Amino acid sequence: MSKPSNASSDLELMEHADGETGGQTGDSGVAARIERDSDARAKVAAIQEVGELVRGHLELSADAVHDAKFAAMWRRIDDQLGAPATGLWSRVTGWFDRYRGHVITGAVSAGAVAALALILRPSTPDPGTLGRNGGVIDVRPVALRATPEIDSLDTPGGSSTVINLDDEDGHTTVIWVTPADTVEGI
Amino acid sequence: MFAAQRGDRDAFKTLFERYHRRAYTLAFGVLRHQDDALDVVQDAFIKAHKYLDKFEGNSSFYTWLYRIVMNLAIDHLRKHRRAKPVELDETRIENDGDDPLLPRILGGNPGRALVDKQIRGRIDQALDELSENHRAVLVMRELEGLSYEDMAQAMSCSKGTIMSRLFHARRNMQKRLLDLIDHPSAELVNDLTGGQVGEDTPANDEALPQRAPARSRS
Repeated sequence: MSKPSNASSDLELMEHADGETGGQTGDSGVAARIERDSDARAKVAAIQEVGELVRGHLELSADAVHDAKFAAMWRRIDDQLGAPATGLWSRVTGWFDRYRGHVITGAVSAGAVAALALILRPSTPDPGTLGRNGGVIDVRPVALRATPEIDSLDTPGGSSTVINLDDEDGHTTVIWVTPADTVEGI
Repeated sequence: MFAAQRGDRDAFKTLFERYHRRAYTLAFGVLRHQDDALDVVQDAFIKAHKYLDKFEGNSSFYTWLYRIVMNLAIDHLRKHRRAKPVELDETRIENDGDDPLLPRILGGNPGRALVDKQIRGRIDQALDELSENHRAVLVMRELEGLSYEDMAQAMSCSKGTIMSRLFHARRNMQKRLLDLIDHPSAELVNDLTGGQVGEDTPANDEALPQRAPARSRS
């Protein structure tokens, strides 16, 4: 029988050093070898030191990355995590929640008020939007039939844009309000 | 963790703050490129958030996260392979009978050794020169302490292949580092001995500790 090569017996040392022998019967032989053979002990120690050097070096390399990079990373992640709905309908309803008072005080032109009525869709779902199990299907306009008409509109505390558009649900008017204290880029 | 599963964005941010650097260390160790590693970590957190409801809590969040990071890093390597690595025949380790593990180490004080720029540069060089597979196994083992079996699953290969890769990776690291030690500069000797050798002392092997007692993993 040929003597095991250095590498294959060193492989056993490596398994032992990594705690991978799991109580195998051969491990007692390896342990005995390490006990009596200083060269084997040094190899096990060398394996452990290589590990510590690699781990320490990589951790120091990671520490060298500026916090600002990770802060920017979080902002990008946060932007993608269930970001507030950016669809047309959610923007409109969001706007209406914020500016309901302005509309009611009558500072909006008659045409715009009439248009606004079109976007106040009923809270109860249209029968056509109910799913098989009675759940509401989220229906949003996905295509426009014609180029939207866009007009400007003065509203209290800011300026507005009235957008008349024809989508799959028919005619919709969107009033987009920009408060006067809004500063772009901040 | 459970708060994050319920949709608490602040709780997920806490998880990010706790683990992002550790995840980056893993990704950087495998990819060796800062921007690539940052991209992988970002994608990993987005993916983790997307599938948060599928996380059953059988392992720690980080254990789950590192698997995502590792899978993304390995995918990234496959998709953006910059150079074709020269692979050894990993199933024939017996061919390396003349090239065993080296019984020499830097002196048993890695913390001190890592102060030296030459050593860190040499570790970088050695990591860069390893094949991607060898490097991935070394990093998984040394950073995360993964078992051979877990690494075999992560890399879709046999446990024997993992052992072979790890053996080669460690031995190549040793060789690179000992090349440096065999011809040490005065600065290196000073760093490794903690200044116990005076500046006038010629740099030589005798000045460097050759081995240290085995220590258990912390």
